[in-house]
Amino acid sequence: MVLDSVEIRTPRHLLSTAKRSLGSPTPRGSARAAPLGTPRLPPASGSPSKRNVPRPPSSTLRQRELRTPTPEPALPPPVSPTRDTQKAGAATPSKRQRNHVSQRTDGLPRDLPEDLHPLLVRQKRAILKSLQQPPEIDEITVYGEDYPPTNTAAYEQLSDLLTGSVVRGEGNSCLLIGPSGSGKTQMVERAIAALPAKPIVVRLSGYAQHNDRLAIREIAWQLAQQTGTSFLPAESDDTDDEDAEPPAPVEQGPETVVHDDDEDEGDDEENPFIEHAPAASSGTVIPMITLPPPSHLLALISMIPTLPRPTIIVLDGFDLFASHARQALLYCLLDTAQACRTVTGSGSGMAVVGVTARVDTINILEKRVKSRFSGRMIRTACPTSLDHWVALAKAALCTPLIGESAVAQDDEEEWAEIWGKAVESFVEDEGVMDALRDVYALTRDFQIFRRIMTCLTLELTAASPYPTLKMLKAAISRQRCPARYPPLHTLPYPALCLLVAQVHAQTSGHDVFTFEMLHDAFKRQVRASQAAPVQLQGGGVGMAFERLVDLRIFAPAAGPAAGIAKEFALHRSAVDRAAVKKAVEQMGQMSLRKWFTKA
Amino acid sequence: MMPDISPNLQAALADSPHYEFVSSHLSALLSSYPPPFIFIHDPESSRLAASVVRSALQDLASQPLVTDTGLTQLKFACVNAVACFSARIIYDTALNALAGWTPDWRDGATNWHGTGAEARRFNENFDAFVHGIQAVVTEATAANAIVKANGAVKDKVKQKEGEAAPNCRLVLLVERAERLKDNLPELLVPLTRLAELSQVDIITVFISEVQWQDIRPPLRASPEPYYIDVPFLSKQATQDLLAAAFPSTPPGSSSSVVDPDAYHPALKPLYADFIALLYSTCNPFTHDPTELAYITAARWPGFVQPVLDAHRSLLSEDDIASTPRDSDGDDGDNQRELQTPNDDMRLRLLRLFTPSLTAALESLYPRLSNATHWARVHAPPSDLLTMPREGAPNALAAQVATNAARLNGQPDRPTEAGIDALPRMAKFVLVAAFLASTNPARSDLRMFGRGLDERAKRRRRKMGTPRKTKPGTAGTAVKIPQRLLGPTTFPLDRLMAILGVLLEENDADVRPVAPQYTLPGEYTEMEIARVALYANIVELASMRLLVRTTPPDHLDRVPMFKCGIGYDLAIKVAKSIGIILNDLVYEVV
Repeated sequence: MVLDSVEIRTPRHLLSTAKRSLGSPTPRGSARAAPLGTPRLPPASGSPSKRNVPRPPSSTLRQRELRTPTPEPALPPPVSPTRDTQKAGAATPSKRQRNHVSQRTDGLPRDLPEDLHPLLVRQKRAILKSLQQPPEIDEITVYGEDYPPTNTAAYEQLSDLLTGSVVRGEGNSCLLIGPSGSGKTQMVERAIAALPAKPIVVRLSGYAQHNDRLAIREIAWQLAQQTGTSFLPAESDDTDDEDAEPPAPVEQGPETVVHDDDEDEGDDEENPFIEHAPAASSGTVIPMITLPPPSHLLALISMIPTLPRPTIIVLDGFDLFASHARQALLYCLLDTAQACRTVTGSGSGMAVVGVTARVDTINILEKRVKSRFSGRMIRTACPTSLDHWVALAKAALCTPLIGESAVAQDDEEEWAEIWGKAVESFVEDEGVMDALRDVYALTRDFQIFRRIMTCLTLELTAASPYPTLKMLKAAISRQRCPARYPPLHTLPYPALCLLVAQVHAQTSGHDVFTFEMLHDAFKRQVRASQAAPVQLQGGGVGMAFERLVDLRIFAPAAGPAAGIAKEFALHRSAVDRAAVKKAVEQMGQMSLRKWFTKA
Repeated sequence: MMPDISPNLQAALADSPHYEFVSSHLSALLSSYPPPFIFIHDPESSRLAASVVRSALQDLASQPLVTDTGLTQLKFACVNAVACFSARIIYDTALNALAGWTPDWRDGATNWHGTGAEARRFNENFDAFVHGIQAVVTEATAANAIVKANGAVKDKVKQKEGEAAPNCRLVLLVERAERLKDNLPELLVPLTRLAELSQVDIITVFISEVQWQDIRPPLRASPEPYYIDVPFLSKQATQDLLAAAFPSTPPGSSSSVVDPDAYHPALKPLYADFIALLYSTCNPFTHDPTELAYITAARWPGFVQPVLDAHRSLLSEDDIASTPRDSDGDDGDNQRELQTPNDDMRLRLLRLFTPSLTAALESLYPRLSNATHWARVHAPPSDLLTMPREGAPNALAAQVATNAARLNGQPDRPTEAGIDALPRMAKFVLVAAFLASTNPARSDLRMFGRGLDERAKRRRRKMGTPRKTKPGTAGTAVKIPQRLLGPTTFPLDRLMAILGVLLEENDADVRPVAPQYTLPGEYTEMEIARVALYANIVELASMRLLVRTTPPDHLDRVPMFKCGIGYDLAIKVAKSIGIILNDLVYEVV
């Protein structure tokens, strides 16, 4: 394990030093071109010269050291090929990987299925788990000393603010702004989980609560859920203890409900009829949930600071709340928070945290709302350099196994070494770097990174246990921008005919067409060429048209009208001529191709 | 939830190596650390993918999953966005399935409403639905805890993990998710964000034939899903899949159409050949396995009928002769088992039935007929294999004709049958309506003007006509005939005028003599002013052969109509009343 982590760390530090000396990523690209010619080096990536040269000897050396004590006589043979392939394999990375694999499976025919397969499965699980949250990366090593790590600073700001509310009873409000996938929500959860005392957390989302009425009901419900239990002193202690145990961000609502229910069930077993009266502690709040009079809107929110515990209100999709009528909810919340600050000590604190991806959110607030907002805007950011991504990828892939049993220690060490090497050569691959750079240039969203890595991880099987460039490319194409339509040449023949007819209609100046137009063109073509399938009357063409509409290849050009028969409804094609041409060529039907070229 | 494809096909799908990719990915994800939102895209047939996913989920739900935080029980709900067309139906269906609750008729068919003090309705709005999901989780974990407490005495090994509440992982599967966009657009975003809204371990899985790009709400309101694309079903895979769907046990209660022996195990090789033939016939038109299975179900009983007949006659011969003849039976004197037909018979059958496969595709793929009826009509004659080879195809066709006559089922389109029964005047109205809808109004005088100065008018028009340019070269679009663009609306007056011309030219000779009308055309004027004619028009409109485009409750406005019949039908109707339609259409086809 220790060796493994060393193996991961080394290049990262080297990388960061190289990074620091080289500066911004653009010159790095040009610097990368030079060492491509050097033949005997392992495939270079990123900024290769400094961080790669010392690697192979040390790793092989250590590998040999590690391998010699293992008792199997069959072990040494696979070591040398891997080293050789790693040294020589600058040409085609995927082939090299496959060689590597086959050698390994050939070399260890009985070891792999028995010991290492479960380890591979465990490794996959570990990777998937680590992908749930962005792996912790030491940002200083990636960005250098002088670069301010945005998210760390944002986290500190946010937790300071929340601590102020929870500990000192302040009324605070802030806005967390950042592009999607930059960790806003997780940051809020992390900050709440790390608070010293346990506040009441009300989570609202602009996507679910479309208007203030729904939002206020939800606030009432969540408050009832959380305060209803905490009124009972014994139980509140219980929940605090329970919640302190798991370090992960706890699910507030259900967690407390569990205890509520447990309590109820315990009571039920004793005396099912009488004990329903204490259960009315939650029962009393039910009327409040079911009928919140609109006039109580202010009253409910303004009583929040009088609750026994401090309250944190998280508004996801903050910009959507601003579109509610008169921004009443925002006004009430922010006003209460502000009042809470001015009259210090009257009750417990309150914090309103707005989470949004919209940059100009502050501008869409009305003046009276804006003046009650503290104006604190905390920004989060996605990774701002490619190296950060690469570091993330490495950290995710190299997640150490979770020690399940102490029995297979040897295997684990062996696996860790093999896996570390595999990841190392994967990340150093030039093609892998290019692929990652492509994705990174398009989006810096962590979510897409996670999807790609998840897909890559799931592709790992016992037959091909190491990540390869090919797998990465497949994962990227699958997850980044999946093809919009099924491959057109797999469509039924009549559908393709309709597409060709549509191209004809388009060239004659009709972008918008009806089914009858296409059908007529089709019939004329069949009459002229005598080469189409015989069935025309069977509705095959009509079915094909509906199929195309279902697949959204033909889109209705006008809304559905009552009086218009289906065959005369106007449609528009979403695929262009080139796509149809390709499909016709792939289909390989001579008559179809002839017809198409007439257009 | 009712399975919408046959259990045999479902079983075949679950075992199919072709869908292995989907189910393995999904199982691997769901049993470890799944993303909160998964999108499964199957451009070919989302029903099959949904079936595969369902069986994978059933497998996962059958035993608790082992995760790092202890055992996790998976529960899932399948929601079909076609069937669940309103938000409340979605909520109730999902919660009932997640809670394992079946509405009972005797309880008033109530939906799941939680237990204890939390009992309430969960279908009010999305928040209530989320509360319902939380209640499901709470209840499940509580139940698990009780089970665990009871079972914990036995296994102390798991005791350490048992301290934390046993988990419960929910999966909400939405089939045909593209419908959500049209039906319930306000639900799309919250459903995709269900995990973060409910703060429980729930995974939303969408299955659709449409790519997520076409469903995705604007402004990135939904998180991006984890994509799983179902690969394209190849020819061999489809055939294997269908052949594997051969029932392993013969269906117990067979209808009168299907012979009880039709799915005898000995016929399985023949079935595979049949599937291959069917696939090659239908492939250009559809390769959807469910459609092919439907056609198979209709054709196979008739296809094997000759084999079964031959076998039965052999049996009866045996019974009569009671002395075994070893010449054509391998298995001696004991009761003959049904055997796989030999090559000659197989080829003969395949050749005989090939045309009927095309017929089956034509009427069954667009569901012009249903499988049972079709199978009944196309049942082969009883002694097909003993017939001379040349006569067999004709005998088959003749049998179909007699079957059809016997069953009195006209598989033709019902509209045509209705039109034959229309009164004569209604047919005139229909033809007039077709002309009024197809011809431009400004051409009416030219087409129907029968005045004295017809010649002069024509000449003048001709002189005024600009020189014609070749279509498509002048920069404008090629003119599309109106009959392809759909009928245009016309006022009732125009219909009446055209009808008058038609009646005057085609109907005046056959009318009963009425000497009181002396002026030319006066009799026709009288005819088109009759109340019965207006009643006819209203009736045609109620039959949607005419489409009224103005609201019917206005007396003062001129009613506008559109023609509801197409060109082919119009020609037929015109012919039946002796009008040559093409002479009267402005743009000749």
